[in-house]
Amino acid sequence: MNEVIKSILSAQFFYSVLRVTTPVLFAALGALLSDVAGVINIALEGLMLMSAFWGVMVSAWTGSAWIGLLAGVTSAVLLSLALAYFHLNLKTDLILAGIALNMFASGSTVFLLYLFSGDKGSSSSVKSYVLPNVDIPGIKNIPILGDILSGHHVLTYIAFLSVFVVQYLIYKTPLGLRMRAVGENPNAAQSVGISVKRIKYTSLVLSGLMAGLGGAFLSMGYVSWFARDMTNGRGFIGLAAQALGGKSAYGSMWGALLFGAAEATSYTLQAIRIPSEFTNMLPFIFTIIALIIYARAKIMQIKKIREKQTSHEEVGL
Amino acid sequence: MKKLLVVLLAVLVVMAFANLKVALLINGTLGDKSFFDSAARGIKMAEEKLGIDGKIIEMGYDQSAWRPTLEDIADQDYDVIIVGTWQMKEILEDVAPMYPEKKFIIFDTSVDYSLGDLDNVYSILYKQNEGSFLVGALAAMITTSGMPKTNPQPIIGFLGGMDIPVINDFLVGYIEGAKYINPNIKIIISYAGAFNDPAKGKELVLAQYRQGADISFNVAGETGIGLLEAAKEMDKWAIGVDSDQALAVEDQDPVKAQHIVTSMMKNVDLSIYRALKLTIEGKCPYGKAEALGIAEKGVGIADNKYYRQIVPKKFRDKIKEIENLILEGKIKVDTVFGMSRKKLDELRNSVRP
Repeated sequence: MNEVIKSILSAQFFYSVLRVTTPVLFAALGALLSDVAGVINIALEGLMLMSAFWGVMVSAWTGSAWIGLLAGVTSAVLLSLALAYFHLNLKTDLILAGIALNMFASGSTVFLLYLFSGDKGSSSSVKSYVLPNVDIPGIKNIPILGDILSGHHVLTYIAFLSVFVVQYLIYKTPLGLRMRAVGENPNAAQSVGISVKRIKYTSLVLSGLMAGLGGAFLSMGYVSWFARDMTNGRGFIGLAAQALGGKSAYGSMWGALLFGAAEATSYTLQAIRIPSEFTNMLPFIFTIIALIIYARAKIMQIKKIREKQTSHEEVGL
Repeated sequence: MKKLLVVLLAVLVVMAFANLKVALLINGTLGDKSFFDSAARGIKMAEEKLGIDGKIIEMGYDQSAWRPTLEDIADQDYDVIIVGTWQMKEILEDVAPMYPEKKFIIFDTSVDYSLGDLDNVYSILYKQNEGSFLVGALAAMITTSGMPKTNPQPIIGFLGGMDIPVINDFLVGYIEGAKYINPNIKIIISYAGAFNDPAKGKELVLAQYRQGADISFNVAGETGIGLLEAAKEMDKWAIGVDSDQALAVEDQDPVKAQHIVTSMMKNVDLSIYRALKLTIEGKCPYGKAEALGIAEKGVGIADNKYYRQIVPKKFRDKIKEIENLILEGKIKVDTVFGMSRKKLDELRNSVRP
């Protein structure tokens, strides 16, 4: 038990929280970028998987991890463009198209993996490259903080920097304003001359970009190969993390961090006499609790606003 | 002329009989670098040495396709049909009685013979507990040996895919082997809850290493490959499973291979070859389950160059000695099959830190 507490309080634990959070955070930001424009991107899981695959393959062919990353992200963006085309031009149901793309990604990556490497389980027979870990010069030397914050994978830093970029994009730029307008009320947006379709396309592309980065992290940093269905639900967890955080990038980040912390805790707790079924459940229990708290707070808020309104009305009467 | 024709016909008939037609149905895909690949190797071996007519069919991961595929294949003219893993058990129990003239082999699990009508099914089980006993003993020796990458604490790790009997059979042997060497051994036991999440496997094992383990044993399919990555990253030791994982990764990642002391081998290939050989000789016990242990070469330790380089000779000799003791029946390794949940929990809790 002491070992466990010591382990949870160690710098390495917090370091691992950030690492576990990274793919979920990317997915959450991807979910957010499409959600503000009123599109639920259920295909995040498949986009991530696609990017994880192409990142590994292209880095193996070119010998460059960065070109691999570019290819991975491009593949995810292309797939999300396909989703946009299905939904916006062909008017298919968004959820069904998303599910179809997830299945397509799962099946096609295994098929292509076999085509290129002769293996169907994982790409471990292919020599691929990983993106580097980065030390931050100033922070690195601070005793505990340095151990937690420095030396992470380059995409982990990009994930957390993206939080601010996304927040700025949504709330401080004309494009963000349009995205929100389209998300809140497409008819109103259209009436003032905003092309709803184009905005939705843009937001899905940005969403695909984020998912692509998250997928590449999985196969080009977290581990150094691609495995069949290796995303294992992280895209969906990202959706949940975003739902937890509402329409703010900071909220999505906290949602993802909550997941990351719960997940990392559950890994450490397995050492003691707690059934593994329980520890594996932990992240989801945390989510449900967080959702309940969030929903209650929201209801209270709405109630307050309503009360205010009614009291105003009474005064007006 | 007529005579010649008769002789020719006779030869043809004999050849047709000699060429046992065997189908291996894989409920997944090749390329797992362990189980299914090993089964395919067994078929190849039998093709070369026994002259069978082998066909390997990958059924993919869509479970709804497995039953119809098995029925299709049973409708065709194969003599022996081989399937594997617990996921095929119930399907085979349903299908085998419909084709009493066919022979079926199932590996790594056993059909329930009390259902009756299963006289044409031969089940191959592996005494993974015996193999795991060996690597458990090895891990317990290494962790306090003062070898590089170790700390003085007697803590070792175990990464399971799911909390299910086949996985726990490894665990029971591992625990008993470790306790045989050091009664005070502590084992950090983690279950990932998934067989396809290497990132999670890596994270779980990093947590084990953080908590003082310096060697860990993966029994978790693709998830388990994450353990090998964790060992490389934290510069600790790893033990492979099912097939020789050091040899499987050495071409792509020689550094990783140097962290894998050995692998606990389930020799699916040898067992399938053995079953087919016995079938041809007419000695294969269809209608029964057989557990192959160290004696039948069903399980064992991967004796490769890494093992010989990394592990000191006295430890290797000790493992040999334990192997012989198991062979002679002087060490009896418990199995999880038939063990009560309570007893399993007691055993697990006796080594948890």
